[in-house]
Amino acid sequence: CSFLSSEMRFHIIIAAFLWAAFVESRKIRGISSSYKRFYRERKSFLCIDGSKMIPFEQVNDDYCDCADGSDEPGTSACPRGRFYCTNLGFRPHYIPSSRVNDGICDCCDASDEYNSHARCQNTCWNLGQKERAYVEGQMKTLDEGLRLKQQLIEEGVLLWREKQAQLRELQRAAEDLQIKLEEHRKRKHEADRLKEQTLKALKAGDKGKAPSIFRTHFKTFAHFAELFQFTQLGRRFGYRAASISCLLSLTGATTLLGGGHQMDLSKFQNTLWDNFHCFHLVGSLLDYTNVKLSCNCIEHYDNFDLQKKLEIDYGTDWEYLFLNGQCYKLKVYEYMYTLCPFNMVSQKSTAGTEVSLGLWGMWAGPAKNHYSQMVYENGEPCWQGGSRTTSVTMTCGTETALRSVKEPSKCQYIMDFETPVACQPVLKQRGVHSEL
Amino acid sequence: MATFTERMGPVLLLWLAVCLSGSWAVDKGNFKTCDQSAFCKRQRAMKPGESPYRALLETMELTNTRLTLQLINDNNKVRLLLELYRLQGNITRVKINELKPLKPRYEVPDVLIREPPTEPLSLLSQDENGVVLSLGAESQRVIVSARPFRLDIVEGRDVLMSLNSRGLLSFEHLRMRKDTFSYKVTSTVASVWDNIKRVFSSQADPEAENKEGTDPANPAETVKEEEEKVEDGMWEETFKSHTDSKPSGPSAISLDFSLPGVEHVYGIPEHADTLKLKTTDSGDPYRLYNLDVFQYELYNPMALYGAVPVMLAHNTQRTMGIFWLNAAETWVDISSNTAGKTVFGKMLDYVQGSSETPQTDVRWISESGIIDVFLMLGPTPRDVFSQYASLTGTQAFPPLASLGYHQCRWNYNDQEDVRSVDAGFDEHDIPYDFIWLDIEHTDGKRYFTWDPHKFASPKEMLQGLLDKKRKMVAIVDPHIKVDTNYKIHNEIRSRGFYVKNKDGGDYEGWCWPGNAGYPDFTRPDMRAWWASQFGYDQYEGAMENLYTWNDMNEPSVFNGPEVTMHKDAMHESWEHREVHNLYGLYVHRATAEGLTERSGGVERPFVLTRAFFAGSQRYGAVWTGDNAAEWDHLKISIPMCLSLGLVGISFCGADVGGFFKSPSTELLVRWYQTGAYQPFFRAHAHLDTPRREPWLFGPENTALMREAIRQRYTFLPYWYQLFYLAYHTGEPVMRPLWVEYPQDPATFALDDEYLLGRDLLVHPVTEEGARGVTAYLPGKHEVWFDIHTFQKHNGGQNLYIPVTMSSIPVFQRGGSIIPRKLRVRRSSTCMEHDPYTLYVALDNQRTAEGELYIDDGHTFNYEKKELIHRKFSFANGVLSSVDLEPNAQFTTKSWVERIIILGASKPSMVTLKTADGENQLEFDFDASMSVLTIRKPGMNVGADWTVTLQ
Repeated sequence: CSFLSSEMRFHIIIAAFLWAAFVESRKIRGISSSYKRFYRERKSFLCIDGSKMIPFEQVNDDYCDCADGSDEPGTSACPRGRFYCTNLGFRPHYIPSSRVNDGICDCCDASDEYNSHARCQNTCWNLGQKERAYVEGQMKTLDEGLRLKQQLIEEGVLLWREKQAQLRELQRAAEDLQIKLEEHRKRKHEADRLKEQTLKALKAGDKGKAPSIFRTHFKTFAHFAELFQFTQLGRRFGYRAASISCLLSLTGATTLLGGGHQMDLSKFQNTLWDNFHCFHLVGSLLDYTNVKLSCNCIEHYDNFDLQKKLEIDYGTDWEYLFLNGQCYKLKVYEYMYTLCPFNMVSQKSTAGTEVSLGLWGMWAGPAKNHYSQMVYENGEPCWQGGSRTTSVTMTCGTETALRSVKEPSKCQYIMDFETPVACQPVLKQRGVHSEL
Repeated sequence: MATFTERMGPVLLLWLAVCLSGSWAVDKGNFKTCDQSAFCKRQRAMKPGESPYRALLETMELTNTRLTLQLINDNNKVRLLLELYRLQGNITRVKINELKPLKPRYEVPDVLIREPPTEPLSLLSQDENGVVLSLGAESQRVIVSARPFRLDIVEGRDVLMSLNSRGLLSFEHLRMRKDTFSYKVTSTVASVWDNIKRVFSSQADPEAENKEGTDPANPAETVKEEEEKVEDGMWEETFKSHTDSKPSGPSAISLDFSLPGVEHVYGIPEHADTLKLKTTDSGDPYRLYNLDVFQYELYNPMALYGAVPVMLAHNTQRTMGIFWLNAAETWVDISSNTAGKTVFGKMLDYVQGSSETPQTDVRWISESGIIDVFLMLGPTPRDVFSQYASLTGTQAFPPLASLGYHQCRWNYNDQEDVRSVDAGFDEHDIPYDFIWLDIEHTDGKRYFTWDPHKFASPKEMLQGLLDKKRKMVAIVDPHIKVDTNYKIHNEIRSRGFYVKNKDGGDYEGWCWPGNAGYPDFTRPDMRAWWASQFGYDQYEGAMENLYTWNDMNEPSVFNGPEVTMHKDAMHESWEHREVHNLYGLYVHRATAEGLTERSGGVERPFVLTRAFFAGSQRYGAVWTGDNAAEWDHLKISIPMCLSLGLVGISFCGADVGGFFKSPSTELLVRWYQTGAYQPFFRAHAHLDTPRREPWLFGPENTALMREAIRQRYTFLPYWYQLFYLAYHTGEPVMRPLWVEYPQDPATFALDDEYLLGRDLLVHPVTEEGARGVTAYLPGKHEVWFDIHTFQKHNGGQNLYIPVTMSSIPVFQRGGSIIPRKLRVRRSSTCMEHDPYTLYVALDNQRTAEGELYIDDGHTFNYEKKELIHRKFSFANGVLSSVDLEPNAQFTTKSWVERIIILGASKPSMVTLKTADGENQLEFDFDASMSVLTIRKPGMNVGADWTVTLQ
C-alpha cells in the first residue's frame, strides 16, 4: 500500500507510541532489581508481606491494596510505600511514596516526577561525578588523615612514655627530697640548738667561746649552703633573692672564720647575728616545705599537673594526647570561640567579654565510637538556670582545626573539630555503589 | 515571644529584676486590680438601686428607623441622648451619649464593616410611664420605661433582656476642672484662663450662657449643678511610678443588663479562664485591656493580650449576644442568682416549684467613650454568629497552607539553621508548611531588615523553601527602633506618623530594640504607608512565600504603665485611653493590607497577631500568647480558643509545647495531638529552652508526633471547608458542643472537648499519665464513629475511652460525610492535586451529608467564583454529589480514590454513574465493624455523580 493517508500515518505513529508505552509499563516502576522477582508478571500479585492476593493489573494502578504498600512501588497511593530511584550514574536510593509526583524533583534521574508539572532534569551524571570527586577527596583525606594519625599515635606513644618517665623521675626526686628533708630537719634542729647555745654563750659574755662553737659546727652550716644549691628550694618558692643573700652572708661568715681566728668581736657578732637570721629563714623554709611534703600536697611540683594530665583518657593509642596544651580558635559572626582540648571552651564577643562555655568533662561518643565526641561542662551560668555546656564532635581531616560552632539552644554549644586522629579506617569501606 | 531577655539594656534588667523576683508566675502587682483603676473603683462602688436617670418622653423623636430620647440624671441634671435602632437580622442597637458633651466623645471607628442597615421601628403604645415599640415584624417589643429609665426587650410574655434594671447606668459627663486648689501650673494657659474666668464670674462664662440661652436642653441652665464630689483619681491617677495626667477628667460609662432565665454566659475574651464565665461578686470583674502579661496565670479574670467586648448568653430556649462597642479599658461584672446554689438546692427549687427564675446580671464599665451596644437577639447560636458577623465581618479566608503545621522557635539562628530544620522534616518524613523567624532574624530588632551575617541572603533561603513548596513567616512588630540610620524610623518620624506623648513630642518607650517609637496605626495615612512597606520593592529580601507575624501590638511598652502605652499619649486628637484596645487590630489590619497589596490584591495574606479586638477576625490568625509548658496550659488552650471562636475569631491556636519552660516528652506529644485538632497549629518555644523539633525525643515519640501532624494533613479538606464556612457565615470552626446541642445542658460547661464544625468531636488527652478519658457524646439519637477504629458509639452518653500514648480520641458524627486526603506529603501545597477519600458515617436513618470546597488555595479568585463547592448526600443506598455553586468555575485534577461507609451493610453490587456512563465498582466489606470500602471509583471530585449500593 503505497499511498497511506496522512491520517493513517498518524494512527501508526500513535500506535507506535502506545506500544512503546506498553513496553515501558511492563517495567514495574519504582522497584530495585533485587525486588524484581516479586513483580514477575502473572495473573495475580501477592503483597510482599503475604497479607493479600490481588490481580496483577492492580500493581501500580494508583490505588493502595496492600497494607505494606508493596502493590504501589511506583505511585504515591500507599502511605507507607517507598519508591526506588535507580539514579543511573549516581547513588540509587529509596524515597517515601509521598514524594512521587509531588512536583518536587527528588530522584536525580527524575523518575519520581513522571506525572507532574515539575520539569526535572536528569542530574545523576553530574551528581555522580561530584560525588566521586568528593569521595575521592574524602578517601585522600582519609588516607592522609590515617597516615598523620599513625604518626601522631607514634608520637603520642613516645610522648606518653617520655612523660611517664618524667613523672617517675619527678616522683623519685620528690622521694629523695623527702629523705633529705628529714635529714636536714634533724640538722636544722641541731643548728637551732647551736644557735641557742651560741646566743647563751654570747649573753653570758664568754666571747672567746662563741667562735669555737661556731667552728665546731661549721659543717652544719655548710650543709645548709649545700642544701640550697642542690634543691633550689628557695627558688621554687620565690625566696630566691632571700636565699642567695643568705648564702652570701653565710659564705662571708665562713671566710671570716676561716680567714683568721683573731677578729673584731663586734664584727663577728654582727655577721654571726645576720647568719642566725639566715638560719632562721632557712629553718622556716625547711619547715614550710616539710609541711607541704608531709601532707602529701605535691601540687607545687610539676609532676602534679603531669600526673593529672596523664590520668585523662587520650584514646586507645594516646593519639589525642598531643591536643593537650593546644588551643584552637574560630570566629563565628560577632564571636571568637576558643577550644583548648581537655581544658576548656570559651567565647569572646567583639565587645571583649570572655565567657566560659565549659570545662573539660568527658568523652561522650556512642559506645562504638567513644572518642567521637567531647563534652565540656559547667561553663558560665545561664539566665534561666543551668550552666553553659559544649559538645565537640571530632571529624576526620588532614588538619587539626575548629571548623564550626553553633548554639542550637540557649547555652548549649555544638562544635565541629577536625583532626587526623578522628579518622577511622572503617570509613574506607564505604564508597559509591552506583548501579551501572 | 517573651517579654524579656538578657539581651535587653540595663534599665530593663533592673526592671526585670523587680519583675522576676520571687515566684515564676505573673507578678500580679504589675497589673491593676479594679480597686487600683480609679474609674472601676468609682463605678463599682455604685450599688444596684433606683436609677437617677429618667427618660424625658416629651423629647422622643421617632423616625422610621430611629428613636431618640433624652435622659436626665436627676442628681446632676446632666442630659443624655438615647438612640435606639432596629437593625436587620434581629439586632437592637442602643446608643447613649451626652446630649451636649463639652467636646466630642470617642466613638469607635473601623470596627463595624458598614453602617448597619436598619429596619423599621413602630410605636405600639405610649403613656406617661413609657413607650412600647415594636421591633420589626416579629413579636418582639422594646419597652422604654420613663421613671426610672429602663429598657426591656420582650418577646411574647418573656423578657429577654433588661437594661438599667438594676439602676447601674452611669455616665460621667465631661466637665471643667474645678479643684483649682490643686490645679497644676502645668495646665495650658487657655484652661488657666478658663479657670480665672470661672473664679471671677458668678455664673458660667458668657459664651456658655449664650449657648444655654438658645438651647433649653442644656443641663447647666435648667438646674443648678449639684456639686460634684471630686474624688481621687478623677483628674490624675498614679499606678506604681506612672502618672496618668487625665486631661479630660472623669469620663467613665457603665450599664447593666439583666438576662432572665440565663445561667450560662460566654465570651469576652481574652482571659485564661473557663469557657463558661464565672460570677465576679467575690473578686475582680473580667478585665478587657490589651496587655503583654509576662507568664500569665490561669483561671482568673485578668486582662490579656486581646479584647473582644462580646458576651453570649445561652439557655435551652435561646442564645443572645451583647456587643459593647468600646475600645477603652473595660471591666465586666457578672452575677447570678443561682451561682451560689448547689445542685441540690437547684433541684429542691425545681421540685418545690418555688424557685425564682434563674437570672444572670451583667454590668459593663468602660473608662471613656460612649455607650454603643448591640443586642443580638438570636434566637439560635447560629443566628447570633450571623448577627455578629453582619456587624464586624467574618473570619478572613486563610490560604490553605496556613492550616497546615507551623514550626516556630525563638529563634532559628541563621540560614543554615533554617535549612537544617527544613531538612530534618524531610529526613523524618514529617509534613510542615511554614517555618517561622522570631525577632533575632532582624538587624538589631529593626523590622523589615535581616541580620547581615546570619541572614545574609534571605531570598536564597526563601527560594530553598519555595522549591519544597514551603513558606516562611518573619516577625514585624510595631515598635520602631529610634535610630537615625534606620530608614523606617526616619520615614515615620519625618511624616509625623508616631504616636505623640502628652507634651506633643514623639512618644518613646522601651521594647526589644531599646528605645522605640510607636507608629500611629489609627491613622489611615500611616496604615497605607505601613502597608506599602511590605511591597517587594520596599521589603528587601521578601518573596511571595514570606508572610508576617505581628507581636507586641497591645502595644507592649516595657517601661510603660502595666507594660503598655501611657493613656495620655496622643493619637492625633484622641488620647490613647480611647483607642487602646483598637491599636493591635489596626497593626494587624495594616499588615494584612500590605501583604494583599504587594500582590496587587491577588494573593490572600496570612498574618498572625497577638493583640486583637472585635473585627480582628477579618485580618487573620490569633494565638494565645506566651503560655507555658505545663499541663494546665494545654488544658486552657481549649476554652481560650473556644471563647475566641464564639466571638468570630476562628483562626486561633496556642503555642504547641508551651512557650516558657521545657515540656516533658509526654506533654509535648499530647500537645501535638491536641494542636493537630485546633485551628492554628504552631509549635513555638522560648529562646532559653532546649530544642524541641519533633524528632529530638527518640524514634517512638517522633512517630507519635509525626502521626498527629499527618492526621492534621489528612483532614485539611475539612478544615478548609470549615474556614470557608466561617468566612461566609461567621460560624466558629472550633465550637463548644452547646452550639450544636443547644438544648442539652450537659454540654453547657464542657472545657475539655469540642467540635470542629458539626461533624468532628475532639476530646484530646490533656491529663498527665492518662489511662483513659471520659468523653461526652451528645445527641440522644445520634451515633458517633471513632475515626481510628470505626467503632460506633451511641450519643447522649459519657463514654470512657482507654487511651495509650498514641490515642487522640476523635469521633465523626453519624450522618456526616468528611472528605479527606490520605496521601500526606511534605506540605499542603504538594497535596493539591491528590485524590480524596470520602468518609461517609451513617446515622440511625442510614443517611449522611457533607460538603467539599476546593479552590486554588491561595488567591482571592474565589470571590470571582473560581471554586468548586459540592454537596454529598447519602440516602436510600445512594451517595450523590451535587453542585452547590452551579455558576462557579474551577477545575481540579483531584478524583475520588476511595469511599468508606461507616455503619453500612453489605451490598451485592456497587455502581458508579457519571456523565460518561455507568460502571461497577469493586468493594470490600468488613462485617465486624460494618465498614464498606469502595475501591477506586475514580471520578473527578468536581463532577456530578452517584454511587448506588444494591
